[in-house]
Amino acid sequence: MDTFLSDKHRSVRRSVRTFCEREILPIARDIDQEAAFPWEAAEKMGRLGYFGIQVPQALSGADLDTVSYMIIIEEVSKASASLGLCLSVHNSVAVFPIQAFATEKQKKRWLPPLCRGEKIGAFCLTEPNAGSDAGGIEATAIRDGDHYVVNANKVFVTNGGIADICLMFVRTDPGAGRKGISVLVAERGIPGFVVGDLEDLCGVRANPVCSIRLYDCRIPVDNLLSTEGMGLRIGLAALDAGRVGIAAQAVGIAQAALEESVRYAKQRRQFNVPISKHQMIQSMIADMATQVDAARLMVYRAAVLRDQSKSYSQAAAMAKLFASEVSTAVTDLAVQIHGGYGYSRSYPVERYYRDARVTRIYEGTSEIHRIVIARGVLGD
Amino acid sequence: MLEAPTGRSVRTSENCDLNPFDRPAIDMALRLRKELGGTVTALSMGPGSCEFAIYDAVAMGVDRGVLLSDPALAESDTLATTTALAAAVERLGPYDLVLFGTRTSDSDTGQVGPQTAVLLGIPMVTGAVFIENTESGLTVLRRSDGFLETFALSYPAAMTIHPSAAQPIDAGLSGISTAYDGETVEKWSLKDIGLSPRQVGEAGSPTRVTALNRAKRERKCEFISGETEEQADTLIHHLLEQGLIG
Repeated sequence: MDTFLSDKHRSVRRSVRTFCEREILPIARDIDQEAAFPWEAAEKMGRLGYFGIQVPQALSGADLDTVSYMIIIEEVSKASASLGLCLSVHNSVAVFPIQAFATEKQKKRWLPPLCRGEKIGAFCLTEPNAGSDAGGIEATAIRDGDHYVVNANKVFVTNGGIADICLMFVRTDPGAGRKGISVLVAERGIPGFVVGDLEDLCGVRANPVCSIRLYDCRIPVDNLLSTEGMGLRIGLAALDAGRVGIAAQAVGIAQAALEESVRYAKQRRQFNVPISKHQMIQSMIADMATQVDAARLMVYRAAVLRDQSKSYSQAAAMAKLFASEVSTAVTDLAVQIHGGYGYSRSYPVERYYRDARVTRIYEGTSEIHRIVIARGVLGD
Repeated sequence: MLEAPTGRSVRTSENCDLNPFDRPAIDMALRLRKELGGTVTALSMGPGSCEFAIYDAVAMGVDRGVLLSDPALAESDTLATTTALAAAVERLGPYDLVLFGTRTSDSDTGQVGPQTAVLLGIPMVTGAVFIENTESGLTVLRRSDGFLETFALSYPAAMTIHPSAAQPIDAGLSGISTAYDGETVEKWSLKDIGLSPRQVGEAGSPTRVTALNRAKRERKCEFISGETEEQADTLIHHLLEQGLIG
């Protein structure tokens, strides 16, 4: 499977896997049930560089490539999809756009604490009336001297309950349609910054997803990312990176479900043999293993293209679509293999089943991805 | 990794990892560097496929890594291994401290550290749990049964580090990044340490493993019966008898 990975990639995988087995696996079930963000583990991950994976070391990052980044997201998600989600969102759609679009001064201000995990990032695009249709953003930012006065109602903000640095998609030019959207960095704690109640989610429950509302918030013009009107471009660049991350998260969840299923099928006996001896179970295991491998290869391909600075939007969209569909299918089979126990909280597969479902919804639904892919294939 | 039934040690990248018993030695070395300055070099002997164990050590923070690797070193017993390691340490010198893990996770002889110290002609403390720099040299604490022995040593010295002396340290991601991107890992052959193939490998090994058979472990299962309280008493009695509690 990983014959084309370098020793460095393998070293990253080994290191992350060892860490996750010791620090995250033992708490994964509890943080899901209690919907509690694991601060202690996150702080350790911060010290080890998990929150600034692709940022240069001069700005406190780990300076790794995208393939390494995907390996990390997969391994962490295998232990806890909620933490994998936290890292993917933080690295791909908060840290990366700052790295790519901020001024040197802004980078020095925001990136080091973000990379050390001392501050957590979030991406605030979705609104009650804008999600798949990002052009429908209603949040407003009205210039007033060297500040913007911002009013916004952002919902389903991943990391929302713990985020310190929020990329806020706002309308700076109400008459300019899709070109009137800009990104302002809103820092938690400024007057008028309100964190809403946590969403009581079906899966990824240890991630504090919530709404963030800004009421007449005065945000300095210095907090504008790039220039006015660049919002959707920044958003799309961030989401390209984010999609590969979510695909890797989906692969991690599916891999965990596959491994649990193999373990269970070998020890569960029915008709005097382990159920792994039954052909229908074997068929499921074979399909699961094949699909997970295929999804992982698509993730790696998108990552390699990104590392080679080639266009990877299409590859990312395909990887995200395929991996998320695979993840829901594989976790569904895992529950089936476990039978009644699979539907119980005594076994982890029901958690994988719940966690996998959302990968088809966030960072672009499967339907939006099919539109993107079809557009690319048809050349429209 | 020993593989029956050939009796030969087969080491591949799949079955290699940084010896977990070496991690405390690396941790101790890094702690001493933080306190006293200086540099830390990780040295290992093994086939090229084990190079990544050295990279892992560099990722954990050591300044330089050396892998001693030569086809002639294959089949070395502990004496041939320590002959090679001692020659490599001499070449790395001057040095103040040579730290070892207490043993390896594969062959598990525990001989390599002490034998290397003998060949280098320097004092050795095994199972060190605490090292402190003093005016005249260093003080080392060693755990021995329920006691702590205190030794005063002069530099240069060698010791094996007891696993309890260190906390597990994870290689940071930027450490891994630096380890593989930098030029911190060197590969040395027999020529680099000035030894002849006769002194190492099978030729330089006075011991032979004549047979290797999988050890059979006896297991027995005993059901404890009676009332719950009786069962608990019986269980406690058994555990006490075997010295597992008390």
